[in-house]
Amino acid sequence: MSAAIEGSPNACEPLLRVEGLRTWFPIRAGILQRTVGNVRAVDNIDFEVAAGETLALVGESGCGKTTVGRSLLRLVEPQAGRVLFDGVDLCTLSKRELIPYRSDIQIVFQDPMASLDPRMRVRDAIAEGMRSFGIGANAAERTERVAALLERVQLDPAWMSRYPHEFSGGQRQRLCIARALAVEPRLIVCDEATSALDVSIQAQILNLLRDLQQDLGLAYLFITHDLGVVRYLADRVAVMYVGEIVEQGPTEQIFERPSHPYTQGLLSAIPSTDPGRRGISARVIGDVPSPANPPDGCRFHPRCPQAFERCGRERPPTYFAGEGSSRCFLSDPAAG
Amino acid sequence: MIGPVLRIDEVLTTFPAAGTRIPVVDHVSLEVHAGEVLALVGESGCGKSMTALSAMRLVPKPGRVESGNIQLCGRDVLALSVSEMRAMRGGEAAMIFQEPMTSLNPVQTVGAQVVEAIRLHERVSFVEARKRTIEMFDRVQIPDPEQRFGAYPHQLSGGLKQRVMIAMAAAMRPKLLIADEPTTALDVTIQAQILELLRELQRELGTAILLITHDLGVVNELADRIAVMYASRIVEQGERVDVLASARHPYTEGLLRSVPAAARRGEALHEIAGVVPSPSEWPAGCRFSTRCDRVESRCGDAVPTSTQVAPGHTVDCFVVADEVAQ
Repeated sequence: MSAAIEGSPNACEPLLRVEGLRTWFPIRAGILQRTVGNVRAVDNIDFEVAAGETLALVGESGCGKTTVGRSLLRLVEPQAGRVLFDGVDLCTLSKRELIPYRSDIQIVFQDPMASLDPRMRVRDAIAEGMRSFGIGANAAERTERVAALLERVQLDPAWMSRYPHEFSGGQRQRLCIARALAVEPRLIVCDEATSALDVSIQAQILNLLRDLQQDLGLAYLFITHDLGVVRYLADRVAVMYVGEIVEQGPTEQIFERPSHPYTQGLLSAIPSTDPGRRGISARVIGDVPSPANPPDGCRFHPRCPQAFERCGRERPPTYFAGEGSSRCFLSDPAAG
Repeated sequence: MIGPVLRIDEVLTTFPAAGTRIPVVDHVSLEVHAGEVLALVGESGCGKSMTALSAMRLVPKPGRVESGNIQLCGRDVLALSVSEMRAMRGGEAAMIFQEPMTSLNPVQTVGAQVVEAIRLHERVSFVEARKRTIEMFDRVQIPDPEQRFGAYPHQLSGGLKQRVMIAMAAAMRPKLLIADEPTTALDVTIQAQILELLRELQRELGTAILLITHDLGVVNELADRIAVMYASRIVEQGERVDVLASARHPYTEGLLRSVPAAARRGEALHEIAGVVPSPSEWPAGCRFSTRCDRVESRCGDAVPTSTQVAPGHTVDCFVVADEVAQ
């Protein structure tokens, strides 16, 4: 993917590098509201997103993928770890110092109706961010930019004085994308951005996101539970399970030769639309454990079809092999 | 039993809006035979849930079934008394929904709710009904069924709640199970478990299933036959392999091609232009004509009727009908 990386202090440095990110939510109880435990939503994870690249963060509900996205923007405060954007650790910045980076990283949520102010005209919703970041010299110039952005997301610029409720679900998601683009971001976090849409509308939005990436060199952190979308869109994939990244690698590798038993189970559970390929398997048994009380050892071992004694005792480290990594004793190259 | 378990014939269900009545189920006909799974597929608002609710006489007011004929287990649904219909629901025909949380009573244990359902239909003692409930829980693979009997819905995960709903639905050994998006709210690993369970139940009990879903993967996994709905009408119907491998209606074709899993990376996904029109914007003639890439001038003149393209495979499209005639 051709991407504009000039302007970054070090060309080898990825656009975003996350190291040891940890976001726990305290559980308080009693009159004194003492902390009695923690929901380990994000527990010590590392990943990178290069400029112009799409990293998909996949996992089931409650695995912490949304908290990762929110932690990057410090919409929730991480307790530990570094979020390096262009080499600058966003976690050490004051609220004031953080402001300029808020235009670099934008987020698009699942439910566009909930993220658009119902009483704000489309023009104002899109221009609001531009005003805060001083993009466009005056109102007329900003309106002109709004028109161009609407056209960019294939909406009629004449609709800019309408309200969000006058648009369909897919059109509203286009509005959210236009609003994100308005402040010229370099990374867009898409948090289940197409999950609420019907498949024919989802296809339109995915095509739009793909075109925007090619034209503007955007990087995406694509948070989703839909593996079909991941395979179509992502360059690399990180699979999350109960607050941890259990496997990471290039999309082809993850889908063709998954290493971690959880990834294998996840892939074998996706129903195909190919009439010749029927027979998903429910090899991952039971339910996802609570991140407030994760199992000892490997967090996946109670559901793992390949678990052995060591898995319940010891937490597997992350083993690296080629471009991928896997957090499973079976991936230990020393074990053969 | 002779004949289909469920037979819906030319059913018209309408809702009032802006001085007229809008058809949400527009002359829909389908049959579900004993032991078979028919999937009713379509995007949001196409009328697939309303078709199922019409069959159960559960269309919420002010909607109503205007005309047509519905035969459930050989009985004329529209002619049954309220109490006869009530006995049928949960007895010969059961239903499960997308959100088990909203179908279960939050202040009653799940066991008590299944017991209540059994005792509504059969004169059995509490002890007997409890025994059967625990057997049912065991059958739908709820771990520690004795313990779970006394659990409240909020204490169970989404997958377990859906298992409770299935246990309740299957307790009376229904001839027909209507499953309305039964796995849509579940994670993919849990979805796989529930689909496997439904398939087992259907095999063991011979229950016919009317599966309502928007997920073409789920359809492929479970269905024997498929009916595709668009804007309140069925546009294509046939055997699973025929519809998925040789779809003929331009809508079905487009839908299948817009699934990302089927596309190659880097290639543009197929798009169906525009959005599903609201009933007030329905075009005259074929309702898909405004989005169709094979549209001809006559498509706006009249509503196409069903043409058989292969045995048991019908398509409502003028262009396809001509191809078949040639």
